Amino acid sequence: MTTASALRMTGISKSFPGIRALSDVDLDVAAGEVHAIVGENGAGKSTLMKVLAGVYQPDKGSIELDGAVVRLADPIEARRRGIGMVYQELNLVPDLTVAENILLGSTPSRLGIVDRRALREQARAVLDELDARIHTDDLVGSLTVSQQQIVEIAKVYAARPKIVVLDEPTSSLSEHETQALFRIIGRMTSAGIAVIYISHRLREVIDVAQRVTVLRDGRLVETRTTSGITAAEMIRLMVGRDLTEVFPKREVEIGDVVLAVHGLSRADAFDDIGLTVRSGEILGLAGLVGAGRTEVARAIFGLDDADAGTIEVDGQAVRIQGPRDAVRAGIAYVPEDRKRDGIVPQLSIKDNISLSVLDRVAVGGWIRPGAERTLAQQKAAELTVSPPAIAPRVDTLSGGNQQKVVFAKWLATKPRVLILDEPTRGVDVGAKADIHTIIGELAAQGTAIILISSELPEVLAVSDRIVVLHEGRIAAELPRGAAEHDVMHAATGEVSS
Amino acid sequence: MISTRHILDSEAFHALVRNRVVIILVATLVLGATLVPGFLDFRTASLGLDRMATLGLLAIGLTVVLIAGQLDLSGGAILALSGIATIGLQESLGQIPAALVGLGVGIAAGAVNGFLVVVLRINSLVATLASMLFFRALCHLITESRPVSGIDPLFGLVVSRPIAGTFTGRTLLFFALIILLHLWLTRSVAGRQLFAVGSNPASAEASGIRSRAYLFGAFVFSGTMAGVAGVIQSLSVNTGSPVFGESIVLVAIAAVVIGGTRLEGGRGSALGTLGGLLTIAALTTAMEYQSVPAYLQDIVTGVILLLLILLDRTVSSSQRREVTLAALWRRARSSRSSRKNERTPAP
Amino acid sequence: MNALASPPTRTVERGLFSTYGARLGLPAGIVATMLVGSLLSDRFLTLQNLTNVLINMSIVGIIVVGMTFVFVTRGLADLSVPATVAVGGLLVLGLQPSIGTVPAALVGVLAAGIAGAVNGWLVGYAGLNPVITTLASGTIVLGIAQVFVGGVIVYGSDPEAQAFLTGRVFGVVPVIVLIFLAIVSAGHLVLSRTVIGRWSYAVGSNPFATEASAVPVRRVRAFAFLLTGTLAGVSGVLLGVTLQTARPGIGMGYEFDAITAVVVGGVSLLGGSGTVLYAFGGLLFVQLLTNIMVLQGVATEPQGIVKGALIAGAVAIDIALRKRGGRE
Repeated sequence: MTTASALRMTGISKSFPGIRALSDVDLDVAAGEVHAIVGENGAGKSTLMKVLAGVYQPDKGSIELDGAVVRLADPIEARRRGIGMVYQELNLVPDLTVAENILLGSTPSRLGIVDRRALREQARAVLDELDARIHTDDLVGSLTVSQQQIVEIAKVYAARPKIVVLDEPTSSLSEHETQALFRIIGRMTSAGIAVIYISHRLREVIDVAQRVTVLRDGRLVETRTTSGITAAEMIRLMVGRDLTEVFPKREVEIGDVVLAVHGLSRADAFDDIGLTVRSGEILGLAGLVGAGRTEVARAIFGLDDADAGTIEVDGQAVRIQGPRDAVRAGIAYVPEDRKRDGIVPQLSIKDNISLSVLDRVAVGGWIRPGAERTLAQQKAAELTVSPPAIAPRVDTLSGGNQQKVVFAKWLATKPRVLILDEPTRGVDVGAKADIHTIIGELAAQGTAIILISSELPEVLAVSDRIVVLHEGRIAAELPRGAAEHDVMHAATGEVSS
Repeated sequence: MISTRHILDSEAFHALVRNRVVIILVATLVLGATLVPGFLDFRTASLGLDRMATLGLLAIGLTVVLIAGQLDLSGGAILALSGIATIGLQESLGQIPAALVGLGVGIAAGAVNGFLVVVLRINSLVATLASMLFFRALCHLITESRPVSGIDPLFGLVVSRPIAGTFTGRTLLFFALIILLHLWLTRSVAGRQLFAVGSNPASAEASGIRSRAYLFGAFVFSGTMAGVAGVIQSLSVNTGSPVFGESIVLVAIAAVVIGGTRLEGGRGSALGTLGGLLTIAALTTAMEYQSVPAYLQDIVTGVILLLLILLDRTVSSSQRREVTLAALWRRARSSRSSRKNERTPAP
Repeated sequence: MNALASPPTRTVERGLFSTYGARLGLPAGIVATMLVGSLLSDRFLTLQNLTNVLINMSIVGIIVVGMTFVFVTRGLADLSVPATVAVGGLLVLGLQPSIGTVPAALVGVLAAGIAGAVNGWLVGYAGLNPVITTLASGTIVLGIAQVFVGGVIVYGSDPEAQAFLTGRVFGVVPVIVLIFLAIVSAGHLVLSRTVIGRWSYAVGSNPFATEASAVPVRRVRAFAFLLTGTLAGVSGVLLGVTLQTARPGIGMGYEFDAITAVVVGGVSLLGGSGTVLYAFGGLLFVQLLTNIMVLQGVATEPQGIVKGALIAGAVAIDIALRKRGGRE
């Protein structure tokens, strides 16, 4: 290979308690190249980039920059070494000007006073190199998203990096703005910078990148050139896998419609969502990051507003303005972010389980300790929470058991509809099997279930029907037995392969 | 159909809120001019400003602290403590050295606050609440809850006498300092970096800015300004009292908030604070003229402050989302971005 | 950081010290103080002296109950207490001549309760910063109360009521102390055994998960302030009747004392833990300390220093323990 490698990551492995995030991943990026990294949610893209950014230390493997082995101890070190990160959530100061943001930390000055002319000139120079038409004296807070992103890139570029990582850069951009971004990327590569481009927009990847690395389940699948590749092929690489963890689906008699959602919309999030779920049915809700699945779930449950739409439970229209209304209507929601929205860390297992149904174990506002204890013990046993005591604080449990406690809490509300958002994320295999059994049990009892999961095998194995969301809209409705690549197609917005 | 939400979300409303200090100031001046004959006379203005000078000095310190994203409730107590030192030590040290010690007290108190917040990482609200109580208790201890008199009432006149027929000494000092603050905030590197620290300390660090040093410095500055205010005030009345400055912090915060500095940090201006102070001065003068008793004036100040923070809150959360600066940031971006609730799983 | 969620965290086992140390520390401290007190002065362990301690505790103690709820729900602090106490005191004595003591007392408590409700709305529903808000509302309320009574000192005209409150039941326990103990018991039971009490802990510990668990978070937060305002009103009424005089500044310093008691008692400022009994213990400790100092002839002000240092120290310890427990 004649082109010098700006970056070479070899054999990178990284694990977290209970999860193997990366296994022996290689990445090789040349100077002046645009190298894309693609993969499903959970494939390991973010972790790999965090290792590169110095946020995580790899358990195994090495990183070479321009041929020299380096250790990136922290983000400041990584930055020093010429690695520039542009995240989706921008790090700009809205009340400072474009120029000040670009040169933040290296503002030209004389005796502590900002040298405005030099500031303007230097910022202008950076922006001109990127051919960006943005005024240096505008306040960043007054710019559009696309412009702000360009400022962020300029800020990273001003530090003369060798490698720039762009994480899902086009998720908020219009077509026109995306082209503008590509031109800027072109400028960077002309200057010899290696650009790593992370995206789930496969067509863009083919347009802008020279090579693409596909990750799956924390492993490297393949790195190849993008010339001649099709989106369909990339999808095949991203999803083809041995289905080792398929839990047998329990056959259940499906009854009448329990939940009917029509025209649910919220600006900026999702549009015209219509779903029906029947008693005993498991409806899988699939889609990529940013597709809007959690948003829809939270809107149905009343945690967030919706601008329009109706919800009916058992044929009756219900008005859901908050979780209390939802619970009263018989809807329960096991949230995606367990730590933030799931458990109350300082309370005991018992207190967590009874939290949503306290009025059912209380008389006139006074909690009946015996009734509460019985309820909690019963639910904890049903869900095989370990350890089998209800007194310990819930933050002493493992992730899987915490998830079971969250389940227990919601099952105590005796829901008609149960929405599960990534129910087995961060959960070990044993607990995962338990949770799947519980889901099957619930379906058998007639609960209508919506299952949101980024793990395709899980969704495919467990669901009776699958609705695929793409950028806030329903892209496809697939029956049981659909193939993974059908789901991925719809999820990535590919209408034909 | 025009709902409240439409109004609150509209461009016009936002522009109104952004420039509110000018509007409020003009409205207050008009009100004052109608209620008080001779309101816009130079003499009235000079007296009104003089009365506000002490408050103004405190507000200067608070502006810096608020831009840094913190809160400092101990200003009043530090003011009293400095004043007591300034007057109480006059006999043993002489007037000027005593005043310097008073200033030193302010600096030291600010450092204590800085220590609590930056080193011990106590929330600034809590830390300055505790230090406020502590300093106030110190005041009562030292003076046995009695005011202390100075040795020469004429010494302090230098601050409260009009100089060259214009403004009083302390008013001039205040103006000088606020102009300096304005210049510092708009022209100096450190001042600009303060905004970055207040907006997002972590990413400021990532850009090589020493956020913790800035935070510490902000508290020291605020304490120093409270010290200056205390020295000047006690000299002007030749008395140091443990009950001075008891409700001054609230009014100072009101002035700063009227001026458009947000409680969340990363945003603010010295000129805005000046506008807020002038508004308060105008209001106070008008109310004094109408012989409105002190407690009623307090009501007015309190109500204005509450209304303003409510207003800020309503504008921020007009779409019922979190009100952190990060969320304001997200909302400022245009429509196609997806909500940040959708996350990739851990690996 | 964006789509890069943090890895699943391993929960940290809390050391033996931090779980039990804090709990045992205070009772031990109280016992130690009593020992020291009895050694330093033979007047200390007398019934009369200890009853005096209880009487002094009563007014602040009633407020402490409310402040505990504020802390537990992570409402930080209610600084409008001086105002609501004054409202109670001013109104009961001001209206006494025209409508009688008991109705006047009810009006006083009601007015303070309304102030508390406004605080509750502003902090719980509008989501304003509790410290600034209660600071502002306190000045407003105090001003309104002064408008109402004309801004002067009010004198009481019902010495019988005064005698009643300071009179003793069974010749030993003053009525006012009984009222105080009753409120403390009720407060403790509500916080530890009722639905709203449990909700208060949940809200303070993790408001997001609690909201997602269909608990009315805003209502719970508002309740804490409503309760504190009302209880401060009760204190003010009792204070006014007992002293038979009230001036606007009558409530000054009570917020200070209440917060000290709660913090020293081990109720965390960050919410989610602690009980009314802990706060009671904290109050007892501080009062015993004060009592010892008084018996030793120490002037009022050094006592203030000790209290101020206690707050700062207790908060710092709480934060340090939290850090070691692995939480923000």
